[in-house]
Amino acid sequence: MTLLARYGSLEAAILACASGDRMALRAIYEAEGARLLGIAFRMLKRRAAAEDVVQDTFLTLWEQARRFDGRPGHGRAWLTTLLRNRTLNVLRGEARLDLVEDFEPLGLHAAGESAEEAMTRLSDESALKRCLEGLEEARRRIILLAFTEGLSHGEIAARLGTPLGTVKSWVRRSLLSLKECMG
Amino acid sequence: MTRLSDEMEALAGEYALGTLDAAERTAVEARMAIDPAFREAVRAWQQRLAPLDDTAPPLVPDPALWSRIESQMNLHPPERTRFRSGSWIAALWDNLGFWRPLGLASALAGLVLAVTLALTIARGPLKPDYVAVLNTADGRAAAVVNVYADGTVNLIPLEDIAVPQGRIIEVWTLQSREQGPVSIGRLDRARSLKLDLRNLGRPDVNHLFELTLEPPGGSPTGKPTGPILMKGLAARSI
Repeated sequence: MTLLARYGSLEAAILACASGDRMALRAIYEAEGARLLGIAFRMLKRRAAAEDVVQDTFLTLWEQARRFDGRPGHGRAWLTTLLRNRTLNVLRGEARLDLVEDFEPLGLHAAGESAEEAMTRLSDESALKRCLEGLEEARRRIILLAFTEGLSHGEIAARLGTPLGTVKSWVRRSLLSLKECMG
Repeated sequence: MTRLSDEMEALAGEYALGTLDAAERTAVEARMAIDPAFREAVRAWQQRLAPLDDTAPPLVPDPALWSRIESQMNLHPPERTRFRSGSWIAALWDNLGFWRPLGLASALAGLVLAVTLALTIARGPLKPDYVAVLNTADGRAAAVVNVYADGTVNLIPLEDIAVPQGRIIEVWTLQSREQGPVSIGRLDRARSLKLDLRNLGRPDVNHLFELTLEPPGGSPTGKPTGPILMKGLAARSI
């Protein structure tokens, strides 16, 4: 029996953190730590930086658990948003310098490979996959790169050798057609 | 649900996607704080894109990572006050909490100012002449002081303040070195407070506001004696 099962659900464990239950944080860490570290590592490509973000995320969760609205099934999304926001802050903020000066070797994944991988790993039944497949390949790739590697408009433009304005308008139009398709 | 314009919808999507730069992210977070429909649109985008996060191969953390988290839990105790659910301060703070305290301190002060102004403008003609954003030692904006043309001055906390047993919070302003800090209010916990500046000059640019911990009844010396909780300088609103 996992530690989380004692709390019944992730949402219940988050709420237990709000009342100072240290075991609840451990339970969430055991259940979600590897998934969150995987997301942060895919974006940051540095293990040490990814672990720092996960550490920050769990301490924020511990401190701010009361702000979770408790809606059933929303715990993972809340936790993931905490992590993604922190990761993007690192990627967009001054911390970027740390990354440049950090000589830890890059992950084994070739740049951009995560985009293709993400597509194949999406469940065939998911509406997101179906709707992404509806996008022209170059545009789909931009959306995947942006999300999985946390690239900004400018970084995507540089990576693909496409003008910034074009990237911006492609992203915009791709998002609107995704919304149209997914509802 | 209110239908957003394509432009706002795409902006919400880009925020969730992560393509915006730091300044654009700040602007979106300010918008989320005051616009529930837009906030919902961002949430909907986060839900739509969430399956992509699950495609990242999980990575088992080094055991030392949990030890690091555990050793710092005492430094980040759970907040005790429930933020008013759905209030703009709660929403704002949800987002502020993510921000790198020092690196984005100025952006953050700007945001608080912008939101405060947007809010007061939305409420009618009352707009503060001066605003001071009070920051904690680690750079978090923890309260705002608004100075209005009619002489009203109020303090609005943005986060809870841990007040030890047997201590109160005293609010001070420093208008000139010669005069030194003057007490302008006391409170027992984080709450909005009208400040009393009757015996002082009009607040002006670069006047200092600060909060300290003092014994019940206020500082025995009439000057701050306890640790400074937060402080900030007044700036003219535009």
